[in-house]
Amino acid sequence: MASKEMNARSRVDTPTAAWLMGVAAWAVPGLGHLLQRRWLRGCLLGGAVWIMFLLGLSLGGHLFGVSSKDQGLSAMLQVLPMIANLGSGLLYVFCWLTNTGFVEKAQLVTSEYGDKFLLVAGLLNYLAMLDAFDIAAGRKK
Amino acid sequence: MKHFFWMALFAALTAVVFGAIAKGTSRDRVIYGLKVFGEFMFIGLALGWLLYFLPLK
Repeated sequence: MASKEMNARSRVDTPTAAWLMGVAAWAVPGLGHLLQRRWLRGCLLGGAVWIMFLLGLSLGGHLFGVSSKDQGLSAMLQVLPMIANLGSGLLYVFCWLTNTGFVEKAQLVTSEYGDKFLLVAGLLNYLAMLDAFDIAAGRKK
Repeated sequence: MKHFFWMALFAALTAVVFGAIAKGTSRDRVIYGLKVFGEFMFIGLALGWLLYFLPLK
């Protein structure tokens, strides 16, 4: 009962700005912190995610996406890595719109490294997004 | 050597993010980041050596 009340209160107390910061942090890695004047943290987080994403592409890694060609289990196997890739925000959206990085380059020795860089860049940006949200909501300094 | 370089770079970038979002003072965060980097490298090398002894060819 008490925990339900606390949850309801925390939901009410979360300012709209915190949600906006979360969205900004997801959309452009590092932006959520920079908008809150956390310059160093924003540069470190954003820089690391941007570098990982761009290196991933340059190493021949590929982004995952579900297309109409994928059916059943094949489509299911694409969903989880796609969610990880989606963490990169507008970087992923831009690549999707320009059809960049969606072709597998298995002939390159470093392509698997590239895949991992791209996946982890998205996952790390999810962490950065939660951090920006917590700071804006006053749960973290 | 290329593989080692990419592994080290991966560990360094991930450690930067983990260190940056950690709680505590700046010193605590730097120490945590270094610890994460060291753990990534140690586990990567240890797994590499373990796999070396497996007859996979």
